[in-house]
Amino acid sequence: MADNPQPSDSVIKVHQLRKEFGVLKAVDGISFELKRGEFLSVFGPNGAGKTTLIKILAGLTRASSGTAIVAGYEVGEGRAEMRSEIGVISHSTALYGDLTPLENLIFLGKMYGLENPKDSALAVLEDVGLAPRRHDRVRTFSRGMLQRLSIARAILHDPSILFLDEPFTGLDIHASNVLKEHLQTLHNKKRTILMTTHDVSCGLEMCDKVALQVMGRFAFFEDVKTVEKENFEALYFDAVRNNQFTMGIRQHDTRLKT
Amino acid sequence: MNLFMSQVGAIVWKDFVTELKTRELFSAMFIFALLVILIFIFSVNLSVVDANEVGPGILWVAFLFSGTIGLNRSFMLEKENDCIMGLMLVPADRTVIYFGKLISNFIFLSIMELFILPLFMIFFNVDLLAHLFPLLLIIVLGTLGFCALGTLLSSLASNLKSREIMLPILLYPLLVPIVIAVVRMTGLVLNGEPLSEMMNWIGLTACFDIIYIGVSIMTIDHILEE
Repeated sequence: MADNPQPSDSVIKVHQLRKEFGVLKAVDGISFELKRGEFLSVFGPNGAGKTTLIKILAGLTRASSGTAIVAGYEVGEGRAEMRSEIGVISHSTALYGDLTPLENLIFLGKMYGLENPKDSALAVLEDVGLAPRRHDRVRTFSRGMLQRLSIARAILHDPSILFLDEPFTGLDIHASNVLKEHLQTLHNKKRTILMTTHDVSCGLEMCDKVALQVMGRFAFFEDVKTVEKENFEALYFDAVRNNQFTMGIRQHDTRLKT
Repeated sequence: MNLFMSQVGAIVWKDFVTELKTRELFSAMFIFALLVILIFIFSVNLSVVDANEVGPGILWVAFLFSGTIGLNRSFMLEKENDCIMGLMLVPADRTVIYFGKLISNFIFLSIMELFILPLFMIFFNVDLLAHLFPLLLIIVLGTLGFCALGTLLSSLASNLKSREIMLPILLYPLLVPIVIAVVRMTGLVLNGEPLSEMMNWIGLTACFDIIYIGVSIMTIDHILEE
């Protein structure tokens, strides 16, 4: 692997990615590409391997085989340069409960090597509407507030790529709308976003590309313009109900087209 | 290098701010060490036994046992809310995490030891002030080795279900060379021997400190990765 990023139009390039836990194939031969500024929504039933896919792309776990190039760097080699280009929101908040939001973000700002961590922290807290609570302990926050703080944590260093693992979980309608607005703003700023979600309306509304992951494989991967919401919803619910990959699912592509 | 140092400093700062707010770690370590010393005072007849003979062993048992509580807590803090994931995502070498936690552990344990030493002096009627410099040197060397290995193993044990049990089981056997050396050196110092008489022990302890840190640098990447 060269020291410099690999020149390519694709910001994320995944080829035959696999991750096995014993006999379980969490990610089973996934291949796709995302260009700069594209937004991919990945749907799929629980246990489909969506979180594992994000963990591999974020460099948090190694793939069993295949390659993934993120921001020009091959993941899985612990590259610090690649990590400065990505922001991640996962199921867990990765926030210190006994610290305040400001302290949490100043700490992360220092870890990211930001020039003025306090100013950056205050700016993102303002963005997510948590500035008035910046001196309260994170432990006292509600689920929705934690999620907003997670967003602040993920965008603190202004990453060019965002991996969002079910970011709408536990949010009330207001917080959900705030998050949508933020994601839309980031999308407009040409940030590349990969989001896993169960919310079909929201996921389809925001994305450029849509994927359905079932039993570790992308059963469906298309441009959102070619997808009709009702048909995709039906296919997704089928996948959730059956929760098994059948190659036949691909044959239903025709009913998805507008 | 500057970024490396500032990242290590950030972890130490974060651990200190957390400890100042909670005071969980220091109070637990201090009370445990105090209890160990009190138990030994009641179980050893100091009118029959020479305090300079049994004192070093008791002192280091108090330091190491209470230090283990601190080590167990050290990476548990990072496991809460999966904060370790947040650390793994920052553009830093994994050794930053190791050195940050090592320095935090070393400072917390050293502060606790500074509080315990006067109490040990009073309870065992031992004059530590006359041998303060060599004693501090030995304590620094021993504490560094303990924290160097302990930080590595606590990061490993934090992934295990029975982490509180596993850490001492993994740690104490590997610490034997350092424990023997520091207990012997402390005994010699309390008996008024100069440092020049124990250079072999000092060299041995320093070597093990370096070995523990070296092994940690080489393995921390694999241990922290899922």
